[in-house]
Amino acid sequence: MSASDNDLLHNASVLVTGATGGIGQAIVAACIERGATVFAGGRDKEALSALQARLGKALKPLVYDVTDEQAVKEIFRQLQRQVSDGVAPPLYGLVNNAGVMLESPLSVTSMDKLKQQLNVNFLAPYQHMQLASRLMSRLRRGSIVNLVSQVSEQGSKGMSAYAASKAALTGATKSLAKELAPVGIRVNAVAPGFIDTPLTGHYEEQGRQAVLARTVMQRAGTAGEVAQAVLYLLSPRASYTTGHVLPVDGLFCP
Amino acid sequence: MDTQQQLQQAFSDALGIPAASVTDDLTYNTIPEWDSTAHMILIAELENVFDVMLDTDDIIDMSSVAQAKLILQKYDVSFG
Repeated sequence: MSASDNDLLHNASVLVTGATGGIGQAIVAACIERGATVFAGGRDKEALSALQARLGKALKPLVYDVTDEQAVKEIFRQLQRQVSDGVAPPLYGLVNNAGVMLESPLSVTSMDKLKQQLNVNFLAPYQHMQLASRLMSRLRRGSIVNLVSQVSEQGSKGMSAYAASKAALTGATKSLAKELAPVGIRVNAVAPGFIDTPLTGHYEEQGRQAVLARTVMQRAGTAGEVAQAVLYLLSPRASYTTGHVLPVDGLFCP
Repeated sequence: MDTQQQLQQAFSDALGIPAASVTDDLTYNTIPEWDSTAHMILIAELENVFDVMLDTDDIIDMSSVAQAKLILQKYDVSFG
């Protein structure tokens, strides 16, 4: 793979989950801009179609729920079929971006809500890594990037379920980096801080200012800034980096 | 190359052992070459050669060459 700017991911397929969210769209766009074919996963068919209309045929929409085990298996079968048929290049990258953020104190967090956090934020990425690594290991090369969170690194009052689910993913990232290195697969993570996306759009001005007051750079990050970090770790530019958690947080100090 | 030979070749390539050593009674973790990393490469090789996608339970059960044949038969691969 050439490492020049525009074909950094040439002749490579990348699966991005949560592709229609704020950060997801930015990751998909950044990968396509660098020559990748992107399998864009999401539940919202219309939003995926709109994204495809914007970004072109290099985007291949996959409509499914990441927590549906059978659906995930079927998606990987479909993906591999397209590779076998020569419609798409081999799977080189996986970005586990889909996630849900629960803000709920311990005393009022139901077991159902806790399980949902673990299902979306940890079990689903784990299954995706399991299936993707099997396809990547055929070619002895691949790169996985998981979206974790500064909340899981530092802890945050009222976010224990979310923090725990992302911390689990961080643990898996570091362990799988060791396990998959012999078959040529790198596993890294990006830990965003406060990013301006629809996910944080509900913050009232006072809450937003309180978060920014604890951010050394005194501003929220953008989805594009997160996408550039993901792109770096995904690409051959980070060919000697694995098991790393890269903060994109303007130096958040909880 | 028939499916039996394809299977032997896949094991040979994945484990780095001579094809002649690939017999039905060859079992996971009984030779140094068939460790957990090689097992992963073996699964990828078998999926590639026979164009199948194995279930995780089948991967867990694939503990010998004989077992691999039985499992692949579930995916419509026949061995004479």
